[in-house]
Amino acid sequence: MDFLDIGLFLASVVCVAFMVRRVARWRSGPGGERPFRGRGTAKRLPSGIKAVVLDVLLLGRTARTGPLRWLAHCLVFYGFMGLLLFHAMGGLVTANLFPGYEPTLDPWQFLRDLLGGLVLIGLALMVLRRVRDRRLRALTRFQDWALLFVVGGIVGSGFLLEASKIISPAMFDSMVAEYGVYDGGPETTALKAAWADRFGVVFSSDRLVTPQRVKLGLEVNEESCAACHSDTASAFIARPLAAALAPLAPAMNRSRADRVFWYVHILFCLVGLAALPYAKFLHPLATPANLAVRAGRRDDDRPGGVAARGLGLDACTRCGECSLHCSVAPSFAVLGNPDILPSEKLASLKAFRDGELSGLGLERFAEGSRICTECLRCTDICSAGINLQDLWLASKPDAAVSVPDPNQAVRAMTVAARSAICCRIEPEGLADNRESFWACVQCTTCTSVCPVVAVSDDPSRDLDLLPQQVMNLLRMGLKDETLGARMVWSCTTCYKCQEHCPQDIRVADVLYELRNTAAARLRQTEGGEG
Amino acid sequence: MRYAYFPGCKIPHHLPHYGTSVRAVCRALDVELVDIEFNCCGYPVRHESELASVFSAARNFALAERAGLPIMTPCKCCFGNLKYAVSRLHENAALAGEVERLLAREGLALPQRMEVRHLLTVLDRDVGAGTLAERVVSPLYGLKVACHYGCHALRPGKVTGFDDPLAPTVFERVISALGAETVDWALRLECCGHPLRGRDEVISESLMRRKLESADGAGAQVLATACTYCQLQFDVERDRQPYKSPWRAMVPAVLVSQLVGKALGLDETQLGLRGNRIRPPKSVLSEDVS
Repeated sequence: MDFLDIGLFLASVVCVAFMVRRVARWRSGPGGERPFRGRGTAKRLPSGIKAVVLDVLLLGRTARTGPLRWLAHCLVFYGFMGLLLFHAMGGLVTANLFPGYEPTLDPWQFLRDLLGGLVLIGLALMVLRRVRDRRLRALTRFQDWALLFVVGGIVGSGFLLEASKIISPAMFDSMVAEYGVYDGGPETTALKAAWADRFGVVFSSDRLVTPQRVKLGLEVNEESCAACHSDTASAFIARPLAAALAPLAPAMNRSRADRVFWYVHILFCLVGLAALPYAKFLHPLATPANLAVRAGRRDDDRPGGVAARGLGLDACTRCGECSLHCSVAPSFAVLGNPDILPSEKLASLKAFRDGELSGLGLERFAEGSRICTECLRCTDICSAGINLQDLWLASKPDAAVSVPDPNQAVRAMTVAARSAICCRIEPEGLADNRESFWACVQCTTCTSVCPVVAVSDDPSRDLDLLPQQVMNLLRMGLKDETLGARMVWSCTTCYKCQEHCPQDIRVADVLYELRNTAAARLRQTEGGEG
Repeated sequence: MRYAYFPGCKIPHHLPHYGTSVRAVCRALDVELVDIEFNCCGYPVRHESELASVFSAARNFALAERAGLPIMTPCKCCFGNLKYAVSRLHENAALAGEVERLLAREGLALPQRMEVRHLLTVLDRDVGAGTLAERVVSPLYGLKVACHYGCHALRPGKVTGFDDPLAPTVFERVISALGAETVDWALRLECCGHPLRGRDEVISESLMRRKLESADGAGAQVLATACTYCQLQFDVERDRQPYKSPWRAMVPAVLVSQLVGKALGLDETQLGLRGNRIRPPKSVLSEDVS
C-alpha cells in the first residue's frame, strides 16, 4: 500500500463514519409528531424525475436567485463532476468507456485543462459575489471560505502538478527508462532536445537544443511516445503555467516539485473527501438528494417526516439567499441577532436539535424563531429546495418552551423577580414623560371600554391592574410597578381605550411601550449573563 | 389605479386564498397591483422593539416610493402599523433619525411620501361603491352580513384616518353595493382577539366567542372580514375548537374579497371558498342564493 491507498482508505473511513453519524442524527427532532403526508409514488415519480433534470442537473432553482450565481454554480458543478468522473476516476470510468485511454492523450489532456479552468472561473465568481455584496459578505463564514479553498486547492494544485511534470527532466528520464529502448544513445539526446524545444521540459543543459536533434527527436517521439503523449500545448493552462514557471524551473526540478505537488494535490483531494460529511461540504450530495425528494415543490405542501427534515437541514449550502429575501431582515438590522435570518437560524436549529444550544445561543435562537413571521419566502427562494417553512413550524413550539417570550416570561415571574429586572437603559418614552399623563382624571373610561376587562369576572385576579390604574401608577412615577402587571401583557392593542379617552391620553401606546421596555430589559439581562 | 400590493407575511402560507381572491377582484375592477418584494410591515415585532417595527414599515415605504406607487394592503394590521409608523416618524425626530441611518445603510432614504390604503378604501373610494354596484353580476340579495371592522385600521382614528373610529360606515357601503344586507351588531368594532394568540389563549378565545354570539344574535349569516388576522382568528383558530363545540356552528367568517368576487361572478377556485375551514353553508353563498 502506498501513500495514496493509505490516505484514500483513511479518508474514506472518516467520511463514512461521520456520514453515518450525520444521517443518524436525522432521527432526532425537530418536532417529529407531525405525520408525513405522503402522496402516491406514481404521482411523485415523474415530478421527482423532472426535479432531478431541472433543479439538480440544470440548477433551475439556482437560476431563480440570479444569473451570476447560476453561472458560477454551473461552471463549478459541471467542471468538477467532469474532473471527478473522467480524471480522478479515469481508471474506472474513462478507461472502460474509451479503449486506449491515456490521461496524457487528447482530448483528455485538453479537456482536463478546460474543466479545471471552468471550475476556477466559477470559484472566482463565487468569491467575487461574496466579497462584493455587503449583506452576503456579512453572512459568509469560515465554512464557506473553507469549501472554496479546498475545491480551489484541488484544482489549483492539479494545474501546478501538471505544469511541474511538464518541466521535469526527472519525469522525462523515468518515462524513457520505463518505455524507451535507447539506453542513453543519441536518440535519447535527440528526444530530449525535441521535448525541451516543443513540449516544455526544462533540462539543465542549455546547449541541448539543435535543429538536427529536434528533427530526429520528433521522429523518435512519433515512433515511441506519440501513442501515449499528445503535444503538451493542448494543456492550454498547464503549459503556459509551465512556461511562466521557467525561471523557477531549475530549483523546482532539483527539489522534485512534481512530487511535492502530487502530494499536495492528493492531500487536497483527501481532505475534501474526509470533510464531505462536515457542514457545507456535504451540500453537493445532500442538496441534490433533497431536491429530488422535494420533487420541485416550493411551498410546504408536503411537510416532511423527521428524516426529510434532517435531510433538509443538511441540504443547506449556507448560500444566504433566503436571508437576503427574508421579510424580517429589518428586525435583524435593528436587534442584531443573526438567528433572525433563516440561513443562520437553520444552523442554530441543527445545534438545537442536537442539544448543543444553551445560554445566549439558545436565547438568540428562540428570539429568532419568535420574530419569524412564517411568510414562506425563504422556502420559496431556497435553491436547495429546503422546506424551511415546515422546519420553522415544527421547531417554533419547542423553541418557545425552551425560552419563553417576554410576554410569557414576565407573566411567569414573581412580583419580586419582576422588580429585580435590572434596569440599565431607560428610554425617554411616553411612560417617562409627565405630560403623557398629567391630564388623566381617572374617569375610568379606558377601563370601561376595554374588551379584555369585559371578559374577566375578576379583573384584579386576572389582570392585576386596570388600565386607568396603570395610568395612575405612571402618573406617580411608579413605572417599574407596572411592567409586570398582567394588564400590560394581556392588552389586545385594540386601541379602544385610547380612542375613547376624553383627555387624549395614549393609553394603548403606553401599554405597548411598557412591553417594549420590559422586553429590552430582559434582553439586556440575558445578554449580560451570556 | 395602480398600487404596490402589500399582502403582508401571513397571506402566502397561512391564508393563500385571501391573496388569490384579492388579486382576482382587483383584476376584475381594473385596479392594477404591482408586486414589490416588501418586508414585514413591522406589526408582529412591535411587541418587542418599536425601532425594529418602525424601521420595517419605513423600509417598505422607501421601496414603494422608489417604484413611485402608493401601497395597498388587504390586512388591517399591516395597514395600521404602516400608518402608526408614519405618525411616529413625524412626531419623534430621534426615532426618525435612527431609521434614516438604518435606511442609508442599504442606500435607501426616509421617504417623503408615505401613502397606504386599505383594500376597503380602494373599493369604496377608488373603484367607488356606485361603480362596484354596477359591475355586480350576481347580487348577494338576501344575504345578511355582519361587517367586522378590525381594530388596527380603525383606531387610533387620528393615526389611521381610515373612517370614523366610533361610527364607521365604509365596510357597510361596500357590502351593500353587492346587494347584501348588513346587520347592526353590538360588538362590530371590538377586537377579534387574535393579537393575544400565543400570549393569552383564554382571553383571545373569550373575545372571539363574544363576538360570534353578538353577530349570530343579530341574525348574520356570514361574518365579513377584511383583515388577515381577523380571518385567521374566526376561521383557522376557531377550527381548532372541539368538533362538537357550539362556536363552530356559529356564523362563518368570509373574506370581503370572496364576497365581492362572488358578486362579480368570478371563478370559484380563485376565490378559494374551499380554503375556508369553517365553510359557509351552500345555501348562503352558492349560485342560487338569490
